[in-house]
Amino acid sequence: MRLSQGKVEAKPFERHLINRRRKRSAGKKSTEFVLMLTSMVDMFSILVIFLLQTFSNSPEIITLKDVNLPDSLTPSAVKSAPVLAISKSGDIFLDQKLIGSAKEITSAPRKLLDQLQSIRKNWKSYHKEDFSGEINFQADKDTSSALVSQVMGLLTSTEFQSIQLAVLGK
Amino acid sequence: MIAGGNNGNTKKNLNAELNLTPFIDLLSTCICFLLISAVWIEIGNLEIKQTMGKSADPLTQKNDSFNLDLTYEGPTKLKLKLKQNGKLLKDLIVSATDSKQTIQVLENAIKGEIVPLIPAKAYQFANAAVTPTESVNYGQLVSTLDILRKNKIVNIGVTATVGKK
Repeated sequence: MRLSQGKVEAKPFERHLINRRRKRSAGKKSTEFVLMLTSMVDMFSILVIFLLQTFSNSPEIITLKDVNLPDSLTPSAVKSAPVLAISKSGDIFLDQKLIGSAKEITSAPRKLLDQLQSIRKNWKSYHKEDFSGEINFQADKDTSSALVSQVMGLLTSTEFQSIQLAVLGK
Repeated sequence: MIAGGNNGNTKKNLNAELNLTPFIDLLSTCICFLLISAVWIEIGNLEIKQTMGKSADPLTQKNDSFNLDLTYEGPTKLKLKLKQNGKLLKDLIVSATDSKQTIQVLENAIKGEIVPLIPAKAYQFANAAVTPTESVNYGQLVSTLDILRKNKIVNIGVTATVGKK
C-alpha cells in the first residue's frame, strides 16, 4: 500500500502513519522506512489457501519405495480404492501389508483372495457408497506382464473388475 | 478505525497497531509445512475393465461391436485382429527390432489401419483385449494401453496367458 502524500485525502490509518513518520523525521533525515506488511500477509494467506486446496482435492495414494511406476501419456485422476502392489523384488502388498511373494501367491492364491473378499465384505461398514469393484494396482515397470495379468485375473475373480493401473503422468 | 467518544477538543487515539510478526511467522511455517509435505510426483490412473465377454452391455448389443485383440508373441512382435460382430475385419502382424520401435510401429498401425475402420459413433462400444507374454514387461504393456487410449479406445482388458514365453 502506498501512502497518500496529501493529508486531506488520506484515510485515518494512513494519516496516523504519515503523522508518525513526520514526528520521527522532524529535524533529521530519516534513514528507516516503514515496511507495509499488509500485502505480505495477504500474499501468504492466498498461498496457504491455494496450497491447502490443491493438496486436499486428490486422494492420497502411497507408493512403495521398491516400485518404479511406468510413464503414461494418457493418465486420468487417481481414485480412492484399496491398493495392490507388486514390488521389484516380486513381493505382493495389499494396502501396504505384505501378503507374500508373487510365486507363492500365484501358486496358492487363497491368502490374497481371502483378504480381497474381506475388503469387499467390509466395504459397506467403512464407506458410504456401494462397492464399485475398483482397485488401484501398482507394479514396477520391469515386472513381467504375465505375472501382472495373472494377478489381474485373481482380482477379477473376486469382483474387483475395474482395475486402476497407477502410472506416472508426464 | 476512527476514534470515537470524543468530547470537545481532546481526542483519544483508539488506533491499535496489530502485531503482525507472529501472524507472518505462522503463515510462513504453514507454507513451509505444506510445500515440504506435498507429493510432487503426479500419479495418474489407466483404467482396465475386465468384464468384457462376461456380460455384454445392453447398449453394445444394439450397436455394432468392434473387438480388437492384441496378442504379444514376444517383446518385438504382436498380432492384431479387428473383429466386427465376431467377423474378422483386419489381421495384422506388427514387428520391429526392439521394444521401443515396436511401440512406435504399433502406434502407426493402429492409427493408420485400425482406427479408420471403426466408425466415430462406435468408439464407445469398441473393446480391446491385450494378451501379453512372459517376456513383455509391465512398462511395455502400459505403453500399449496408452496407444489404445490415445486412439479413443478406452474399454480395454488384459487377458492372462499361461506358458507363453
